Amino acid sequence: MLYRTNAKSLFITSALISWSLLLANVLLAAESMHRESSIALDLPFVNNFLIVVFIISVFGFQRLSAENLKGIDFIGYLWNIFAKGGIAAYLSIALYMVYRMVTNYSSVQSPLLLHMVYQLNFGLMVLFLAKAFYVWRQLILYHKNKFIQIAWDWYEILLFATLILTLLNFNYSSLIFLPLLGLIGLYTLFLCTNLKWVAYLTFNKKGRSLILLVAILLACYIFFDFFYGFADSPLLVIDYSDVGFLLLAMFFVALYTLASFLVALFSLPTSSVFEQKSEDLLNFQRLSQSIQQGQSEKQVYDMLFESTVKASDASAAWLEIFRGEKKDEIELCHQLTIEEEQIKRIRHLLLAYNIQHIDYINNNLDRNPGFRDLTLPWKSLIILPIKSKKHLFGVLYLLKDIEQGFDRETVNVLRTFTNQTILTIENLRLVHESLQNERYKEELKIASVVQDSLIPKKFPSDSWFEISTYAKAAKEVGGDFYDFLQLSESRIAIIIGDVSGKGISAAFHMAQMKGIFHGLMQQDMPPSEFMKQANSALSRCLEKTSFITSALYIIDYRMKGFMFARAGHCHTLYYNSMMDDTFYFQTDGLGLGIIRDKSYNNHVREMYYDYNPTDVMVIYTDGIVEARNPQNDEYGEDRLRYMLTQTYHLEAEDIKYAIINDLEDFTGPTENIYDDQTLLVIKFKPTQPSE
Amino acid sequence: MKITNQIKDTTIIITLDGELDASSSVMLDEALSDPEIMTYSKILVDCKDLNYISSAGLGVFISHLQRFEDAHIKLIFYNMQDKVRNVFEILGLDLLMTIVSDYEEAMTIADE
Repeated sequence: MLYRTNAKSLFITSALISWSLLLANVLLAAESMHRESSIALDLPFVNNFLIVVFIISVFGFQRLSAENLKGIDFIGYLWNIFAKGGIAAYLSIALYMVYRMVTNYSSVQSPLLLHMVYQLNFGLMVLFLAKAFYVWRQLILYHKNKFIQIAWDWYEILLFATLILTLLNFNYSSLIFLPLLGLIGLYTLFLCTNLKWVAYLTFNKKGRSLILLVAILLACYIFFDFFYGFADSPLLVIDYSDVGFLLLAMFFVALYTLASFLVALFSLPTSSVFEQKSEDLLNFQRLSQSIQQGQSEKQVYDMLFESTVKASDASAAWLEIFRGEKKDEIELCHQLTIEEEQIKRIRHLLLAYNIQHIDYINNNLDRNPGFRDLTLPWKSLIILPIKSKKHLFGVLYLLKDIEQGFDRETVNVLRTFTNQTILTIENLRLVHESLQNERYKEELKIASVVQDSLIPKKFPSDSWFEISTYAKAAKEVGGDFYDFLQLSESRIAIIIGDVSGKGISAAFHMAQMKGIFHGLMQQDMPPSEFMKQANSALSRCLEKTSFITSALYIIDYRMKGFMFARAGHCHTLYYNSMMDDTFYFQTDGLGLGIIRDKSYNNHVREMYYDYNPTDVMVIYTDGIVEARNPQNDEYGEDRLRYMLTQTYHLEAEDIKYAIINDLEDFTGPTENIYDDQTLLVIKFKPTQPSE
Repeated sequence: MKITNQIKDTTIIITLDGELDASSSVMLDEALSDPEIMTYSKILVDCKDLNYISSAGLGVFISHLQRFEDAHIKLIFYNMQDKVRNVFEILGLDLLMTIVSDYEEAMTIADE
């Protein structure tokens, strides 16, 4: 930036100095020519050097001040040329007029004054050319590709190279340079075909740009006329028409202005089509971006209605949106120059023809007797249902007061609009749903944490038994549970249970069951009595289709035995070290909540068993034995029992790991297990606590 | 899961084909909730092709059990696979519901 500002001020300084020196030199030469015409002081090389320095300074300055194109405010650029460059032409004309008036009035030939005016006009022309040259450059390079960029760069280099001719005082119009000039002319012609920016002008802007272009052309003509008029004039000591560069630059500026003018003029009639297309595109864009902008469905429908009416140039229209679950609530959300009464009549007729919700185009309503009877002021009708495969969101009706109002092109555009709307609406709903899901997930996470806190992590460690637990829920929250309660110093109650179903409802019932367990067992009752009372309690609060399976064990280490009852829960697996045998306890017992009256009492049995040291008891839920492998086989009781026969000598913790590892080998690597899995391994120890 | 109904006089035979899990038990619940089902005197459930029954599926039968009993409609299961029968037995439902080996037996019990 600093470099730019420095370079700019350097260019300004050098331009001013070279111009002033040139002026002084020219005036000096003119004065000497006037005094004694024989000894003319001829310093062409000095003059030419100053001219080149001046031209390069002005062009360099303009090159640096030309900013990159911002947006498509082309009128602004044209105005820039006109305001800063074109005015120079009119100023130069005014100067010349004043000079003529002065000379006419005083009838005195003043070569000094003439040279002054000539010199000033030279400065103004170079300014104008430089300004125009670099604005046109920007416009030529609008939507550029690499080829055009290279072509332009070479053109600029070539043009500035012609300054060398001036520097060396060659006459560019000599025969040798003519072909070269012709080539540069062709090159210029080629560059002047890059007029993409004209297409982006609207009708109004084209009109305004035409006026500005004419004014710029006029400025070109004024300068050309002025300097051509003074070419080879005997009155002047210097002739700027000898500078080939200026002629070429003028040729380029004038030609590009003319080309722009013609293209703008002849594209006037088609500009409305282009405008419509670009507006359609913009509307598509708005529709498709409405999700990011967080717009509502209503705003999307607003956009659809507005865009389609504009795109089809419809004279009347309305939009119906279906609300409610059964799609029977019709909301008339937009209406354009049509009475509700007319809508009602048209809808009635469509209903009679049974075509109210399908794609339908009628480009000649008068030919249809039904529509003719309605005496509508319109002659074409198109019905566009806004529907996806699953949903009918609404229906758009467009009417036109001419026959054949909806041609294929228009219909295609309209369909694209409705399709985009459907996409947008569906996406809006998806976004909404996923937000909702996100919220549910968060709440489930909380539920999961809460439930996790309901399951004890640590059992009382005692010297007479060891216990190891494993629990894995199929979903965030599950229906499996286990718990314990120390009844007295030598007695502990352990419960395991499984609520039918999964998820939130199961989790709630599980929490209830935990409450019942702690509530009832405070009174220290036998397991069968607990089941009866728990069934009675659950009968009042359990869902109709829900039930709970459970097993309760009360272990008494002083008696070296345990009492248990099973309520529909999986059979308990047991290893008896005395007999060196593994087996399942086959006891009867109905699940809780299946029979919800007193008759349940007949369905539960209690069992007492004396344990030996190093006996192992495996308590589990059906998620273990019903776990499946990819071949859809169940893990099964037999395999579980086999595992215990292989591992009973290990510690409880290791038995558990052995079983879980075997289970995972069986099911294979799966992310989602099918049912909650819970496993408790209890091993009775040989050492008894010291009394 | 495929549920098909077959009607013979006052008997309706419901054939279950596939796995009765949480989602398909909703279909079963709809079938059993049909008011028309109360007009039959016997409901026979053919479990020959029932490969799996979840607790949700059991829950559906349990929830309708009392209603059928009150209306003196007999609910009889037959052709049950061993592993499915095991699920019924563990839960203690074999003492509560009538489970027989085949269709003939089911019909004779139903006619009693």
